Amino acid sequence: MKGLRKDGRAIRVMAVDDSPVTRKMIKKALVPEGFEIVGEAGNGRDAVELCEKIDPDIITMDVTMPIMDGLEAALIIKQKNPRQKIIMLSAMSDQNIVEEAMSRGINHFCSKPFTAGDMVAKIMQVISE
Amino acid sequence: MDLAQTIAPFVRASNHVFKQLLDLNINKGQAEPEGDNFVSQGFTVMVGLTGGWQGWFFLDMSQDTAIKLAGLMTGEAYDNVDNEEVLLAGAEIANIISGNALTDINNLNSGVSIRLTPPSVFAGEGMSMFNVKLNAYSVLLQTDAGNIKINVVMKEAK
Repeated sequence: MKGLRKDGRAIRVMAVDDSPVTRKMIKKALVPEGFEIVGEAGNGRDAVELCEKIDPDIITMDVTMPIMDGLEAALIIKQKNPRQKIIMLSAMSDQNIVEEAMSRGINHFCSKPFTAGDMVAKIMQVISE
Repeated sequence: MDLAQTIAPFVRASNHVFKQLLDLNINKGQAEPEGDNFVSQGFTVMVGLTGGWQGWFFLDMSQDTAIKLAGLMTGEAYDNVDNEEVLLAGAEIANIISGNALTDINNLNSGVSIRLTPPSVFAGEGMSMFNVKLNAYSVLLQTDAGNIKINVVMKEAK
């Protein structure tokens, strides 16, 4: 079970994506490995509000979403809590997007399409930093 | 901007996404002429492209193929194209293909910075789309889940 900390507690994940199907795929990738999905949001604004309430260990954040995109949401969350771990998920990862994210302190990307193994490995990498 | 320049990245992205996301191989990709209007096979996803180049990406298939792709994506069985997850899965597949293709195009063409708009999904028999200036050719991708047609329309923004 890769989704457990040394003390046996599950790593608490918040999944943010405007596609419920993608959120379902994230859950299918993580729950069998012991991760706990503690919250879901379908846009950046809801993600910012939910993050304050549930204080997840890590957030998987889609980039392109309605109402507020993932980069803007990540910036607001990082301003409130610079230690919050965030992985950006995106079908687009061109140089401009990566540079824009890095300028906001977001250094971790996972490209769509991803496998369950990709997702677990990326989360474990970021959690261990 | 020629035809190969616009559609080839989408064909490459389709190959990658179908294999990685759905474990589905494209057996053959074949260019085919497109008329003045676009006739749907029954399930069409349209993604808007904005930025330095503007246009549309179309992913088109039969309803039966859309149901199969959704099942491959989520691992669940569906029997009706009206199921919301079938519609959402089609939208997400088109979104990922176009995102991967635009990553290549943006990295190769400095300054174009094309971005996506949220996908629209249309399901229905005998749909035709008018007032859309389509590329002269679509590419028909033959897969074990059925034939999937892609078409890309792009022009430089003024």
